[in-house]
Amino acid sequence: MKSKQIKIALRNCGHIDPEDLSDYIARDGYKALSTTLSGSRETVVQTIIKSGLRGRGGGGFPTGKKWELAAAVKGDKKYVICNADEGDPGAFMDRSVLEGDPHSVLEAMAVCGYAIGADEGYIYIRAEYPLAIKRLKIAMAQAKEAGLLGQNILGTGFNFEIGLKYGAGAFVCGEETALIKSMEGNRGEPIMKPPYPAQKGFMGKPTNVNNVETFANIPAIINKGADWFASIGTEGSKGTKVFALAGKVKNVGLVEVPMGTTLRELIFDIGGGIVGGKKFKAAQTGGPSGGCLTEKHLDTPIDYESLKAAGSMMGSGGLIVMDEDNCMPAVAQFYLDFTVEESCGKCVPCREGNKVLYQILNKITHGNGTLEDLKKLKDLSEIIKSTSLCGLGQTAPNPVLSTLNNFYDEYYEHVVEKKCRAKVCRALIKYIIIPDKCVGCGACKRACPAEAISGEIKQKHLIDQDKCIKCGACYQKCKFNAIIIE
Amino acid sequence: MKQLKNFGEFESLRQELKVKEAENEKKVRIYIAMATCSIASGSAKVLEYFKEEMPKQPVEFVIKPTGCLGLCHSEPTVEVVLPGSGPVVFGKVDTKRAKLIIDEYIKNGKLIDGVIEEN
Ligand SMILES: Cc1cc2nc3c(=O)[nH]c(=O)nc-3n(C[C@H](O)[C@H](O)[C@H](O)COP(=O)(O)O)c2cc1C
Ligand code: SF4
Ligand code: SF4
Repeated sequence: MKSKQIKIALRNCGHIDPEDLSDYIARDGYKALSTTLSGSRETVVQTIIKSGLRGRGGGGFPTGKKWELAAAVKGDKKYVICNADEGDPGAFMDRSVLEGDPHSVLEAMAVCGYAIGADEGYIYIRAEYPLAIKRLKIAMAQAKEAGLLGQNILGTGFNFEIGLKYGAGAFVCGEETALIKSMEGNRGEPIMKPPYPAQKGFMGKPTNVNNVETFANIPAIINKGADWFASIGTEGSKGTKVFALAGKVKNVGLVEVPMGTTLRELIFDIGGGIVGGKKFKAAQTGGPSGGCLTEKHLDTPIDYESLKAAGSMMGSGGLIVMDEDNCMPAVAQFYLDFTVEESCGKCVPCREGNKVLYQILNKITHGNGTLEDLKKLKDLSEIIKSTSLCGLGQTAPNPVLSTLNNFYDEYYEHVVEKKCRAKVCRALIKYIIIPDKCVGCGACKRACPAEAISGEIKQKHLIDQDKCIKCGACYQKCKFNAIIIE
Repeated sequence: MKQLKNFGEFESLRQELKVKEAENEKKVRIYIAMATCSIASGSAKVLEYFKEEMPKQPVEFVIKPTGCLGLCHSEPTVEVVLPGSGPVVFGKVDTKRAKLIIDEYIKNGKLIDGVIEEN
């Protein structure tokens, strides 16, 4: 089969020694910087605008436009920041780029510095990425020694220094204004925009923030041309996107596909389908800020707009595949658990509202929910979305709304019939021994940690539902399929 | 690397490295994924093994530790390119499979099980 993948951001990953600058240069490394420095600042900006590249950090803002804005702001000092916070659960595309091809990001940051008139850049990277940090440090030292970073780059008089700043792993610190606060040594809390970082960013100076993957595309665009890049992808979303396939898909890993690839191609052709031949139920994109796509979206070409229209978002590229064994209210609860934990607490709708959403979901998955609760979930979600200060709060209810929209029947079953069809919610399931199938081997009884099973050897066994803690141990142990979940 | 003082010096270094790279294409090239995921599943040992065993083989070779190809489901992965052939990626490589890769594929051009087809 012809490969459906096109590698641009990951072009060098797996093909060069990330700790050897020569390898990078042999594959056109720093050629884009050299080209850039021999032309005008406007040329670079126009090339990026023309390419149609949009931010890969989640928002999808046109990168060239962002550079143009930062370039237009007057200022003696400007900064370039690379956002390598990558806090989305299950996402690791940025780590992979930094570990496999650190120079591409350094080169792109220098190109950006030249374009907007900055001489200093920082990579904000989470401290949990020690290998990426190590390789970045090596790459920075090598590029500096070779005169490709630092003072008077390639004798042109252009200076660009890059430093590292470490994040402690707070999800909210990936939001650009919180990231800047954190870099300045303050609490990582978002602030109101405007002013945008382009006007007033790090240390109050004009600052351009881009994501790792966004930067990784830049040298390729300059080397191969804006038209080449714009020829890949869809009308409004050009180039490729790296996805981290995870969950119930066979080939868990990173893939890079042209924008406009369908979910079916991603999951079934590239991902190899669902583990154990089970039935596909949904795929979550956009992590805790996104929503789920269902069977009816399988043939939708994936790009920024189509995901939004489907009630989800591109996000940073996490793609978690779910099958019939996933309970959707429980999935929503999982994401809310994450956002409640990660909310910075600055504003009330996010801090308190999401907690209440979580409690209602908890009620539902424990069999205590009502139809009234479903309505409350929806109303409260809308309020949180429209009144939170930053993107975290504004998107936190998305997993709830999206599962409610696409899987209302599952919610309905939980609250009205007190049933969990995926058999995930413990309060709603029962382990039962079918007398006809029980041979009285006693395996279940020995496995039960709650002494809930009675019965003599070679006699029918019985589970005492009051004592059963629903751990599933007996179900695992029975070799005769005599235990079922109801 | 020595300091590059102008575009000219950069361009000649670039050409020099490209020539060197082209020369490498006449050798057996072994790329061993050494990203966090690969190392966690044991790639460091595999790298050591190739570094130790390849000099004993009657072929010219280059071994490179690299980032990953994104094939988390099959780490550690090793990509081998024989002169004149396309790249072949082997998955779930331990020292036992590394030995097979050398004995069967590198020395005799015979494929072994567990080749990953990239989709
Ligand atoms: C809660 C929250 C978390 C975010 N986390 C990240 C992140 O981990 N990495 C990232 O690049 N952008 C993240 N963003 C988006 C950034 O605010 C910003 O838009 C992005 O870094 C801009 O780069 P881009 O235009 O290249 O995408 C996050 C946004 C929000 C609201
Ligand atoms: S929306 Fe949430 S994370 Fe964002 S500022 Fe408000 S409390 Fe903090
Ligand atoms: S589910 Fe667990 S607690 Fe319940 S009967 Fe089986 S082994 Fe015992």
